[in-house]
Amino acid sequence: MNVIAARGLKKSYGKKSSRFDALRGIDIDIKEGESVAIIGKSGSGKSTLMHLLALLDKPTEGKIGVNGKIASKLKERQVNKLRNQEFGFVFQQFFMNANDSVLSNVILPLKISGISKRERKNRAMEALKTVELDDKAKAKARDLSGGQKQRVCIARALVNNPKVIFADEPTGNLDSTTGEKIEDLLFSLNLNNRITLIIVTHDSDLAARCDRQLHIKDGKIKKDLAKPKASVKKGGRK
Amino acid sequence: MKIWDVITTANSNLMRNKGRTFLTILAIFIGSFTIIATSGIRTGVNNYIDAQLDSAGGEGYIEIMPEAMRDMAQSQMGFGGGDEPQEYDPKKNSAEMRAINKTDLAKIRKIKGVQSVKPARNVKAEYITSSETDKKFVISPQALPSDRINLDIAKGKDGKPDGRLVSINDPTPEIDLLPGYAKALGFKSDEDAVGKTVKLGVVESATMQVRTVEARVAGVLNKSVINMGRSWINTALEDKILDITYAKMPQSYRDQVYFATAEWDTKLGDKGLEDIKDGLKKLGYIGMTMEDEVGMVKSFFDAIILVFTIFGGIALLAASIGIINTLFMAVQERTREIGLMKAMGLGKGKIFLMFSIEAISLGFWGSAIGVAAAYLAEVIVNPIAADTFLSGLPGFELIKYDITTLALLILLVMLIAFLAGTLPARRASKKDPIEALRYE
Repeated sequence: MNVIAARGLKKSYGKKSSRFDALRGIDIDIKEGESVAIIGKSGSGKSTLMHLLALLDKPTEGKIGVNGKIASKLKERQVNKLRNQEFGFVFQQFFMNANDSVLSNVILPLKISGISKRERKNRAMEALKTVELDDKAKAKARDLSGGQKQRVCIARALVNNPKVIFADEPTGNLDSTTGEKIEDLLFSLNLNNRITLIIVTHDSDLAARCDRQLHIKDGKIKKDLAKPKASVKKGGRK
Repeated sequence: MKIWDVITTANSNLMRNKGRTFLTILAIFIGSFTIIATSGIRTGVNNYIDAQLDSAGGEGYIEIMPEAMRDMAQSQMGFGGGDEPQEYDPKKNSAEMRAINKTDLAKIRKIKGVQSVKPARNVKAEYITSSETDKKFVISPQALPSDRINLDIAKGKDGKPDGRLVSINDPTPEIDLLPGYAKALGFKSDEDAVGKTVKLGVVESATMQVRTVEARVAGVLNKSVINMGRSWINTALEDKILDITYAKMPQSYRDQVYFATAEWDTKLGDKGLEDIKDGLKKLGYIGMTMEDEVGMVKSFFDAIILVFTIFGGIALLAASIGIINTLFMAVQERTREIGLMKAMGLGKGKIFLMFSIEAISLGFWGSAIGVAAAYLAEVIVNPIAADTFLSGLPGFELIKYDITTLALLILLVMLIAFLAGTLPARRASKKDPIEALRYE
């Protein structure tokens, strides 16, 4: 079953002579539990594509379906709810409230969805346990190392039990050893929790670990490579 | 996001930049405090005047003066006269027009509702003294115009009034002393003076010789604004003083009066009072009740209070610009955070609400601290004022608040803060999450 599907996606910025076409007609189907890498050089349109798929932005043309619902037909409130409950986000620059505790950073999406105080604490602690940082719950976010920060961000992306996690250059700010640990964490979530992964990256090693690689160039998909069958993880695809 | 979470988040956001929050609250505090304190003083003064008015009674009693008298007083004070010399108009400016003659007194008496008219004669005394002392003291006696006036008689330590008001129609000459006079005149206490005899020195105008007249002390007055330093005497004493002042002079001098007082039938109510005033106006006179006179003082005082309130308002206006500034800075600083929360599905409305609540909280704390400080000022200033410059006016509480005004002011400031906050809150709510997350 497709978690996210897109048809004829186009996105342009500016008007008339200064018009810039970031995406020029993209069709994608992303199945539940799949791990997909969107790769391309900077300016290729890969980030724009992720923003559209994550419903953070609206396409100039084309349609996006999430869980069988057409996004453009949803009201803003429903789109917000969808993002809050079905999606998780991991960013290169972490985006944490540095002065708040680790726990309250992880709690944020639950707070937004309006879950009661006790339950959100329990669920946040659970998510922190998954990333093995439950002992740091009370520490200030700014006191953590880069790798720890990204693990907290993954816990935050995880806490709402999302169907899809969008990761924008999740290892871009980390050294290779730490980055590898973050990758392991993301793929184990993909494997064990059947969370669909959509990773934007220009790191070909990271892309190679995904089930599929979408190569974007000049706003179009140039290649759609699947991993060789032998190494497809169990439960990754039907 | 639940509303309670929005409120707590907004408040903890305010605590992130304590210095800035404190300064913004301080600005609101200054404006609120000014407004609250001045309104407190206004209430205090008005309460006092009203209480004085109530105790003075004065119902059914009206003071009358010729319009020409008022015009002259006004032009001497610089109102309406201008710099140009005023041309003489016998209808307006003659001495005859400024006085109330006997025929007019009779006409006033005939106005419907008027029950009696009494000319206010020019009663003057040189001094007051007693057989207990050699010293003489200055005094300004005034004939009690009506027994409907109920002046405040001082109370002794036993809680009972020291004497009573002079009785107008008593054939024995009587006087009410001002506070302090009893001891000065050699009596043991206010209570002791009551019923004793004092002597007043009166000048015979024709010869400039001083002759004395005796009077019985009826009671001792409390100090009050309405009394204005006058010692009240009854008709018997008034006549005796006038007999001396105008001895060997034509009767017409004695009859020349510039003011009169009338008693009117209170059953006719406010409408009847207006009719009487209209009737007086037709005759060329102005009628003023005690309330009218006090009203003039009040409106002058209110004008001063208004000026202070406007100052407070301007301070609040400046403070609300401070709120706008503070929140714009906060929106700028938290751009990424706003972007993140929007990406995570927080709606525009909640973001707007969050910043609005920050603004409202600033308003609340500023005005609440203003109220607290104003209350503290009341607790500290009132006793000091009562012991110093208001010591002569017992029962005068300088600052007085009423709870509804305070609550309304806090609500009003919160509303102003909310309105000021809408601009930055709108900007925050309209931020594009992608742009916001890219913001460095």
